[in-house]
Amino acid sequence: MNALNSDQEDAPLSALLREWKTDATLPPRFREEVWQQITREGTAPGVSLWADLWRSIEAALRRPALAIAYLTVLLAVGLSAGLFQAREKASQTDHALQARYLQSVDPYQKPR
Amino acid sequence: MKRGIVILLSGLALGLCAYCAFYFAGTASHRALLETETPELAWLKKEFGLDDAEFARVIRLHDAYKSECMKMCRRIDAKNAELKELLATTNALTPEIEAKLAEAGQLRVECQKNMLRHFLEVSRSMPPEQGQRYLAWVQEKTFLPEHRMHDHH
Repeated sequence: MNALNSDQEDAPLSALLREWKTDATLPPRFREEVWQQITREGTAPGVSLWADLWRSIEAALRRPALAIAYLTVLLAVGLSAGLFQAREKASQTDHALQARYLQSVDPYQKPR
Repeated sequence: MKRGIVILLSGLALGLCAYCAFYFAGTASHRALLETETPELAWLKKEFGLDDAEFARVIRLHDAYKSECMKMCRRIDAKNAELKELLATTNALTPEIEAKLAEAGQLRVECQKNMLRHFLEVSRSMPPEQGQRYLAWVQEKTFLPEHRMHDHH
């Protein structure tokens, strides 16, 4: 419905455009340069992909809810990783000290 | 664009700080153990919940046993060297080798008796429940044959 109205409103403009004639000439090698530009854009998809990705991330981080969620997730990941690594390290130290105690009391376990 | 980078880097910094804080807090007690003069005894104190008086008794017993243990180590090394020398001279089970094996076995029995005596003394220096736990653990880790078998299979 809106499209129909829009067409009706633009009818005079469309007629005018159809009547419009220009005698301006294209710059030399215009067509060739356009194709070269298209080719250049087409051969660097990585750059475009990263730029698109970064734009998406940037747009997402502009939304407060997503920014808070992002910070919360990284905080949780940092805490969990720190806790897990600390437990691993503590367990390793416990085992090493156990072995050291046993070596100090058992002649058959002393390193030779 | 700038705000996005700031939030992105802040998130990474926050995660890194959280990791470091939890890691250092979680390993603080163990780092403190390693900084003591005898970390293995400090570990024993922590593991079996000894108070200072009990720990002092354990240290005294440990120091007294240590010199005896060193003597035993030297005797074991000497006996092993003799056995090695005999084994290098022949491919057969000679009476000399049999005698040396018996001596090595006798030495092991003597060593185990000393160890058990020490373990019992240490366990008596601990609160009864912890003493029992210590005794069960140390016996299993030192001379109970089942432990060795499980370790190798």
